[in-house]
Amino acid sequence: MSHGFELEGHGAAPTQPAGGVLGMLLKLQDRVNKAVLLLSMLAMLAACAILTGSVFLRYYFKAPTDWQDEMSVFLLVGAMFMCGAYVQSQRGHIGIEALAGFFSPVANRWRVLFCDVASFAFCAFFTWKTWSMLHEAFVEGHTTSSSWAPPLWIPYGLMTLGMTLLTLQILLQIFTSLSNKGTSK
Amino acid sequence: MSVGAIGLLYGLGTLLLMFSGMPIAFALGGIAVIFMFIFMPGASLDTVTLNVYEEMANITLLSIPLFILKGAAIGKSRAGADLYLAIHAWMHKIPGGLGIANIFASALFAAMSGSSPATCSAIGSAGIPEMRARGYSQRFAAGIIAAGGTLGILLPPSVVMILFAVAAEQSLGRLFLAGIGPGLLLVALFSIYAAFRYKKEYKEAHGIWQDGGAKSAYLDTTELTLAEKTRMLPRVLPFVTLLIGVMIALYGGYATPSETAGLGGVLALFLIAIIYKVWRPSQLSPILTSTLKESTMLMFIIGMSLLYSYVMSYLHISQSAAEAIVAMSLSKWALLTVILLLVVMLGFFLPPVSIILMTAPIILPPLKAAGFDLIWFGVVMTIVMEMGLIHPPVGLNIFVIKNIAPDIPLKEIIWGVIPFVGLMILAVLVICLIPGIATWLPDLVFGAAGK
Repeated sequence: MSHGFELEGHGAAPTQPAGGVLGMLLKLQDRVNKAVLLLSMLAMLAACAILTGSVFLRYYFKAPTDWQDEMSVFLLVGAMFMCGAYVQSQRGHIGIEALAGFFSPVANRWRVLFCDVASFAFCAFFTWKTWSMLHEAFVEGHTTSSSWAPPLWIPYGLMTLGMTLLTLQILLQIFTSLSNKGTSK
Repeated sequence: MSVGAIGLLYGLGTLLLMFSGMPIAFALGGIAVIFMFIFMPGASLDTVTLNVYEEMANITLLSIPLFILKGAAIGKSRAGADLYLAIHAWMHKIPGGLGIANIFASALFAAMSGSSPATCSAIGSAGIPEMRARGYSQRFAAGIIAAGGTLGILLPPSVVMILFAVAAEQSLGRLFLAGIGPGLLLVALFSIYAAFRYKKEYKEAHGIWQDGGAKSAYLDTTELTLAEKTRMLPRVLPFVTLLIGVMIALYGGYATPSETAGLGGVLALFLIAIIYKVWRPSQLSPILTSTLKESTMLMFIIGMSLLYSYVMSYLHISQSAAEAIVAMSLSKWALLTVILLLVVMLGFFLPPVSIILMTAPIILPPLKAAGFDLIWFGVVMTIVMEMGLIHPPVGLNIFVIKNIAPDIPLKEIIWGVIPFVGLMILAVLVICLIPGIATWLPDLVFGAAGK
């Protein structure tokens, strides 16, 4: 629980190859991640404003709102899933590194590669299922069960986009890792 | 295959993936999906994403990023140093007052920011150099700050308690209030220790000086006028007002916990804009970026932990494990001891978020059956998990101290925190003997019948 606190050196982006197709793809992903991060910041501030506004509307203007919770959920769920790729690009999804010290540098490189491949496999599967869920919600017109009843393809779409970006990010990291291994031989 | 064998495989698979170094969120999600594929009907895999969305689309859980935003806004401003200086100015005459001022400042800052490491960093950056300049040993100074920071997950609003409330289906307002008494108990224990330790170190310094040795800074006295003391207050009072205002909004029935989180975030940003002139996008960007990084990492772990628990429950692993614990017919307190030791061991490797969500379905039914109040247990479990923040091998606060005072050897920091770990164990024992320390305030506000 660092709550916005970061240790020095933590969260540094991994080294990236400068040129080639992979370099271009990494730069593109980096730009997309930064744009998504900016949108997520706005979404978070909007959620704060909506929740604060609902308190004032209720007490000062006697105008209770019935949509603020769902709207905030959509904004925050969207922001969290959409930022998944950015966090992965900074290696910010924490893992237990207690055993890393027991392995040789070569074995550690293979271990990290295994972790990336396993993470990719899980995220790719999850992404596939989010696309199915989005398709079903869109085609069948699913909505939430509240009186406001907004369409569910909105949060599902954000979840799907976020997971797709995350999966691509891990794939790029695997390729980077393999390409670094190739050049270091 | 028997449920026990499946449960064993599930546990071993989890350990294997987690200790490979795979991100915790993906390891939990991955092992859940593998077991769904092997042991559950094919259709269950089609709803895996829906399960995660439905668990996460909970406004109480989603108040966590907003509480983190409030903590990051306050943590990245100069509020911590100002708070510390003001409290020190008013307490410097008390024996050990400097150390106690650090503990009080940590408690207040923790309550405002809800974060242990941010508290360590904010109060420690000003407090550790000041304590060392006044002759405090480096291990004493480091211990005070590391331990003071742990109050962050006990005093409301605490992210750990939000998760416990969701996992144990308990009232969040009640749980927040239940943390206050034990939080104050820890503040008192830490302060008493600080006063005793100060006297010991003062005596040693005095002895050395009397024997013709160097005069320690311990023996210097500081005098501050009332005007100097009063000048410290204007920058601190708005943040204390924020703390009180948020509590009034929550407990006065004006706002729900999620609205309080949103309100707290807005007010914290407003205050740092007015007081510290932090309002430009370039100044706000690091605050929002670190909030999103932390929140995203946490919410992924939470979402996947909930999927992990769902699979455990579907395969009857958690129910069987809970039944097995009940069948051991342990006495009430033996059961509690075993469970708390398990939490301590898990705390060596896992963040509190995962510990709560992974263990809640297994440990809460036996505790409930043994007659424990789950609100009370939530507080005790939080203190035990707090210990994980200051004891090796993970001990995040130890590394925060190392980061802000790199010249203090790690060994000194660890020796410095050990007495405080002892005090926390003592606090757990006191709360076991006198449960009212935790339950009195929530019972007073909500009524005992509301349990």
